Amino acid sequence: MSDRGLTGRQPGAVQNALAVLEAVSHAGAGVSAREVGELVGLPPATTYRLLNLLVGEEYLVRMPDLRGFALGRKAAGLAGGAPEPRLSRAAKEELGRLRGALRVGVHLVVFGPTSLHCADVDPELPLRDPYLLERHLHAGAAGRLLLADQPDWREVHPPSRLVRLTAETPVRPHQLQARLDETAERGWAAQAGEVHDDVACLAAPVRGADGALVGAVLLTGPRQRPPLEHLPAARGCAAALEPLLA
Amino acid sequence: MPAPALSATSPVEGLRRRRLGFLEVLAQSVAVLAPTAALVTVPALVVAAGGSLAVPAFAGAALLVVLVAWCVRHAARRMAAVGGVYSYCARGLGPVPGVVCGWALVVAYAALAVSSCTGAALYAVALLAPGHHPAAVALGAVLVAAGAGLVTARGVQLSARLVLALEAVSLTLVLVLLGALVLRGGTPAEGARPTGAVLVDAVPSPGGAALAVLLAVTAFVGFESSSVLGVESRRPLLYVPRAVLWTPAVGGVVLLLGASAQVVLLREAPLEVLLSGAPLDGLVRAEAGGPLPALLDAAAAAAFVACAGGSVTALVRVLFSMGREGVLPRTLGEVRESTGTPVRALLVTLPLVALVPAVALLAGAAPRAVLSGAVTVAAFGSLLAYALVSASAPVLLHRIGELTPAALLGGVVASASCTALLVVAAVAGPWAGGQSLALVFAALMVPGLLRVVWLRRRHPERLARAGVYDEPTRRSVLRAEP
Repeated sequence: MSDRGLTGRQPGAVQNALAVLEAVSHAGAGVSAREVGELVGLPPATTYRLLNLLVGEEYLVRMPDLRGFALGRKAAGLAGGAPEPRLSRAAKEELGRLRGALRVGVHLVVFGPTSLHCADVDPELPLRDPYLLERHLHAGAAGRLLLADQPDWREVHPPSRLVRLTAETPVRPHQLQARLDETAERGWAAQAGEVHDDVACLAAPVRGADGALVGAVLLTGPRQRPPLEHLPAARGCAAALEPLLA
Repeated sequence: MPAPALSATSPVEGLRRRRLGFLEVLAQSVAVLAPTAALVTVPALVVAAGGSLAVPAFAGAALLVVLVAWCVRHAARRMAAVGGVYSYCARGLGPVPGVVCGWALVVAYAALAVSSCTGAALYAVALLAPGHHPAAVALGAVLVAAGAGLVTARGVQLSARLVLALEAVSLTLVLVLLGALVLRGGTPAEGARPTGAVLVDAVPSPGGAALAVLLAVTAFVGFESSSVLGVESRRPLLYVPRAVLWTPAVGGVVLLLGASAQVVLLREAPLEVLLSGAPLDGLVRAEAGGPLPALLDAAAAAAFVACAGGSVTALVRVLFSMGREGVLPRTLGEVRESTGTPVRALLVTLPLVALVPAVALLAGAAPRAVLSGAVTVAAFGSLLAYALVSASAPVLLHRIGELTPAALLGGVVASASCTALLVVAAVAGPWAGGQSLALVFAALMVPGLLRVVWLRRRHPERLARAGVYDEPTRRSVLRAEP
């Protein structure tokens, strides 16, 4: 029996797999294999094989009781990028307060399940190239927060996309892994000279009540070392933003 | 239907999660199955027992093991566990049979580690200093165990890669060697000396045939060991079942080829080569000069080192899992934070793995007797675990409402066959001292059984936790939160 059940030559299998995905999405978390089979109208053995395949690929997850299924985080990646940001006035004021107090660029980044979006860039000290941060998650501090939060960063940012932006950029998987381990351990991210030669940055995460990463306060400055002296201020701002974003 | 509660952390938190690619997961199973080590030890024993049915016995054993693997795969596609087959069994048949299965696996992996440390030392000493040096082999076994422990302690990724490299090198060497020998053609025994044909072409008794299948199954022991990498592999529900099924399937082809080649060679070789206990070594030394004998020793030593590393990796993970559940002392569930290795379980087991062969060898046991004795004990443990896990697969599937007729049939046939083989092995084995080794295995099972009885009386709640697996946490689910 082949594990590679889906090839381009089996449109029926692809349709069935998508139908299974749709059935789980509509029925909600906890739907059982039998219920999915009935919803989709497939024979049990086929349904189980497709469910196991989709769980193996992590579009679905099996619930702890092993009976039920739910959409996995990879299914979220199908829906596209980060949410379109609509910042409340209170959130803008919070960022404004920090901008008034610090002499570095203060930006707000929001995260989708597998992507980031520069939601509010400092008008006085703007990001040199927001696109670079959004695309090269391995180089910038905010992107590393997102990657460090993944069960497996390679799924979101394959090693083939470890592009060298400067001489300092981590371009090998183990280099990035070390930085992500460090990030996960201390709970914030920093880098110097890895996106642009002369820019350093620091990112403090904004997390929802369940610990999910929703955004980050990003400080940038034209210097050789991350602005660590502003870490408490950045974390304070992130904490204040939590009820406004999450 | 309300969604069951998801927790924020998995019960097996602490291991390095999702590091290993498919090849590294596959290497774990291949290393413990150790096709090279099996090729240099098992076929001759099968020939001695099964005569003309030696190659069919290998085919039968391969079919049985693939069937067991197919049953294990059902569970492996549904849960990512650190206890491997133990966890599958505990979730299917329940905690008591589960812990019995788990302890049988612990015994099996420990015995495999002992045998492979001995084997590695034996072949390394043969490579470096031919002759009879039991003390050197004892020292070598300790060194191999220490080395395997050190690599395992450095983290699962390093040990998996090392094992992959060693296994690839040794398998290539042995296949090239066998190919060269077959192409060269054996030199017939001179004069009236009897050749191996006496045994190779003998028609075995039914008991002999059963014994041959049983011996051939020992060559496959360990194929399931990649199931302990459920947390550490990148896509556990994809890689682990694939590795568990492919290893015995591909290993079966390799072993069949290797066994057939050896049968051809042994038929023409002098009889004493076949009876020497290490006929492949004898063949190579008698029929081929030059670097070939050294090559064989190097390949076998490398395979045994890989097998030692793989067995230790599997052993400490089963113990870690039991420690986390509270089935064994909780301290076994401790993980070294910097490497994600279950370091306490490693420290407890390593002295045993190193000292058992060293003491046995220094007490005067022949290295090959230690090697085959430990493999035999491992085979008993594995067969018991296979019988239980094959039976557990249909039960697990039934419980979660995903049972199919094929899975039921496969489970029943595999479980019944393994049980039958186990009984044959226990009662009908003049097999390298089979009777006494069955008793050794039974004695080794006693602590585990006592523990089960004690837990059932005093701590049923701990027993009920048997078989933890890597649960999806809130982070891995989309929109599960209210």
